[in-house]
Amino acid sequence: MSPLMFSTLLLALGLGSTVTFSSSHWLLAWMGLEINSLAMVPLMARPHFPRAVEAATKYFLAQATAAAMILFAGMTNAWMTGQWTIEMMTHPLPLTLVTLALGLKIGLAPVHAWLPEVLQGVDLTTGLILSTWQKLAPLALLLQLPHGNSPLLIILALSSTLIGGWAGLNQTQLRKILAYSSIAHLGWMMVILQYAPSLTLLALLTYIVMTSSIFLLFKLNNTTNINALATSHTKIPVLTLFAPFILLSLGGLPPLTGFMPKWLILHELTMQGMGTLATITALTALLSLYFYLRLSYSMSLTMSPNNLLTSPLWRLRPHQPTLPLAISATSATMLLPLTPAAFLVR
Amino acid sequence: MDFIMYLVLFSMILGFVVIASNPSPFFGALGLVVLAGMGCGILSWHGGSFLSLVLFLIYLGGMLVVFAYSAALAADPFPESLGSRWVLISGVIYLVGVVVVSSLVCGDWYEVIWVVMDELVDFSVMRGDMGGVALMYSWGGGMLILSGGALLLTLFVVLELTRGQSRGALRSI
Repeated sequence: MSPLMFSTLLLALGLGSTVTFSSSHWLLAWMGLEINSLAMVPLMARPHFPRAVEAATKYFLAQATAAAMILFAGMTNAWMTGQWTIEMMTHPLPLTLVTLALGLKIGLAPVHAWLPEVLQGVDLTTGLILSTWQKLAPLALLLQLPHGNSPLLIILALSSTLIGGWAGLNQTQLRKILAYSSIAHLGWMMVILQYAPSLTLLALLTYIVMTSSIFLLFKLNNTTNINALATSHTKIPVLTLFAPFILLSLGGLPPLTGFMPKWLILHELTMQGMGTLATITALTALLSLYFYLRLSYSMSLTMSPNNLLTSPLWRLRPHQPTLPLAISATSATMLLPLTPAAFLVR
Repeated sequence: MDFIMYLVLFSMILGFVVIASNPSPFFGALGLVVLAGMGCGILSWHGGSFLSLVLFLIYLGGMLVVFAYSAALAADPFPESLGSRWVLISGVIYLVGVVVVSSLVCGDWYEVIWVVMDELVDFSVMRGDMGGVALMYSWGGGMLILSGGALLLTLFVVLELTRGQSRGALRSI
């Protein structure tokens, strides 16, 4: 890909999300989402081997369907109520349509099936963009919608956390596991969306930090399946020591950053009197924890019978920048003391 | 005039049924053309004659490409035509389904009716849809430029995806 084209596409990728953030009009929001997903397709097909092109095709089909549904919901809203404002979409029919379409865009559970397939086909940098930056614009729209007391969001959230944990149990490919982890985390964001939207933002922020660090770690280690993880301590010993902390932070264990959103979300749900919902959501997180534990186990907590283990590689200076990994890995493990107290005293 | 309108509406349903009953791509594209033409007819009957003209021209231009693409892609010696058994059966099922569902919800539907845009149909200089087009260029100018920019990006994306001899859109698969 020529550098001019590459920079144009990257610019459009940023511009599309920014247009969606800054719009209060459905047409402009739809256009931003379109620009964003259109610019992503050639970036995914950039290596141009069959699996990448297949992933780009699947991504395009899912995103185009979601965008058409968003436009249809916005136009239905304009037809029924005579205005295009995002915050004013009060009629239940377009509201349901657009919630489902945005769920398809970010990969919430009943409509999640494209996400593991697509993420498995792209390289790790594109996968990082796909699971962080591409979630921002649809989530900004979801946050602006006037959800009343919406059972649809609860259904989406519970099935996301359940399926995200459950379907990830069976995988051996790291990118698919990360996709299911993304689905489960988005379920946690959805479950609190209508009660405390600021907690959704907090969960999104911590998820982005954690998933960036794990993607960058796998990229530095150059691993895409569990088998290849077993020899990683010959390549990057210190990061191999550090990786279980990042993984368990994704799983949400207490002294790490990932505990913060789960703790606050469960606290808020209990304060709202929804103990059953909080219990079920917490129990589905155990499923996710199982595969994070398995990744940690095969990467750092065991030594597989392999004679490669006795022959460490040369420690050369790494070719790719390691500063982003250092920053994100540190914040993925050590941000818990910075928990905003305002969420807890309520 | 009402009779023609009923005919147009019925042909539109037929177009939907032809697409949904899954024939080979030639006949599916044919159903799409019928559907688009009938949709434009309904639009012009409700006062949007300029809009329906623009939609029809652009849509037929796109359909030319779809026809050429489906003819090139599905070089099928024995295509599933509209008279094939499964296409016919599913078409009849869809038609019956449309009749049943519309008889169930028909009473609720007629309350919301589309009114014709212009009240002075014969003597007005300014048609409703012409006014809409003018508004799109004056008040909606910024949005129009942004939409044009998005279309330009689409052009670049398609060019990048199909760049070079060996890199047709799906050729790598």
